Amino acid sequence: MNNKFDALKDDDSGDHDQDQGSPKDSEKEKTEDEEQNSSRKKMSVPGAGEHPLQYNYTFWYSRRTPGRPASTQSYEQNIKQIGSFASVEQFWRFYSHMIRPGDLTGHSDFHLFKEGIKPMWEDDANKMGGKWIIRLRKGLASRCWENLILAMLGEQFMVGEEICGAVVSVRFQEDIISIWNKTASDQATTARIRDTLRRVLNLPPNTIMEYKTHTDSIKAWVDFHGLVNPSGGC
Amino acid sequence: MSTECQKTTAKAIPSTRRVTINDAAHMPHDYSTTPGGTLFSTTPGGTRIIYDRKFLLGCRSSPVAKTLPQGLPNIPGVTTPLSKDTDEKANNGELLNNNTTAPDSSNTGDDSQFEMDI
Repeated sequence: MNNKFDALKDDDSGDHDQDQGSPKDSEKEKTEDEEQNSSRKKMSVPGAGEHPLQYNYTFWYSRRTPGRPASTQSYEQNIKQIGSFASVEQFWRFYSHMIRPGDLTGHSDFHLFKEGIKPMWEDDANKMGGKWIIRLRKGLASRCWENLILAMLGEQFMVGEEICGAVVSVRFQEDIISIWNKTASDQATTARIRDTLRRVLNLPPNTIMEYKTHTDSIKAWVDFHGLVNPSGGC
Repeated sequence: MSTECQKTTAKAIPSTRRVTINDAAHMPHDYSTTPGGTLFSTTPGGTRIIYDRKFLLGCRSSPVAKTLPQGLPNIPGVTTPLSKDTDEKANNGELLNNNTTAPDSSNTGDDSQFEMDI
């Protein structure tokens, strides 16, 4: 039962990041959680002489398998953990060994989330949250992504524990970057995130920035597809 | 300001932390910054380790930052190049993403920010 959320991958708004959530999936998730927990018991720690970060983070990569309709692919099949890090130097180790988002092919995404938060709506940290979305014409994604994640790692947003992670989505005609936070209803926080984004990305004043709550994203999908039972992911 | 305060969990004040400087690039760029990131004790959300972009870019040149991370999954086209002849490079731990900037180059600063036309 591949569910409604998969189709969100199509709407190009960065929503592809959070689908799945049927009861079946949550069982599956449990076993996966256990595996991940055991392999992750040893949290990343900064090495001697390295510069510790405020939080540990995990890189993820997802890609829709070409040639298969989105509806037959579950999100979890398509998302891979690249690795976790705890220091500035460890971040660069991963980042320097990954290609730039602008050079990715196909329908793919990089996600950088705090360690322990999955890049999915269903994660406890995300379910009351939302995200700022910025659409970019082709050619800008690599630079914007780098500026975005450096600001996040360096704690430039000044919103306490609110930031969950960031996503860059490579699509056919445009690329999208987004940053997720915990509490969509906290306007002081979302305004501060917006202002920081403008500053660190050096966006021209007329850039359109859109805030979407995760529940609205789900609702929009359900309305469009006429699903009677919207429960599951939200 | 006080209306914006958010619930924060109390944390002990960090005791002395030693920061080793191996490279001039790791020195802070102004006198109000301490090596190893500035600790602000009065920001919303409590004590944070803060780094600016320029400092982070400077750390890119440290030897550790260039080594292949342990357990990096092999994802062709993402963590290893797609084409065969470059495969060897990647297996030897060469960098796929070395587009930017040595720390000493002047374009790591803010004025390297490009004008965006969206």
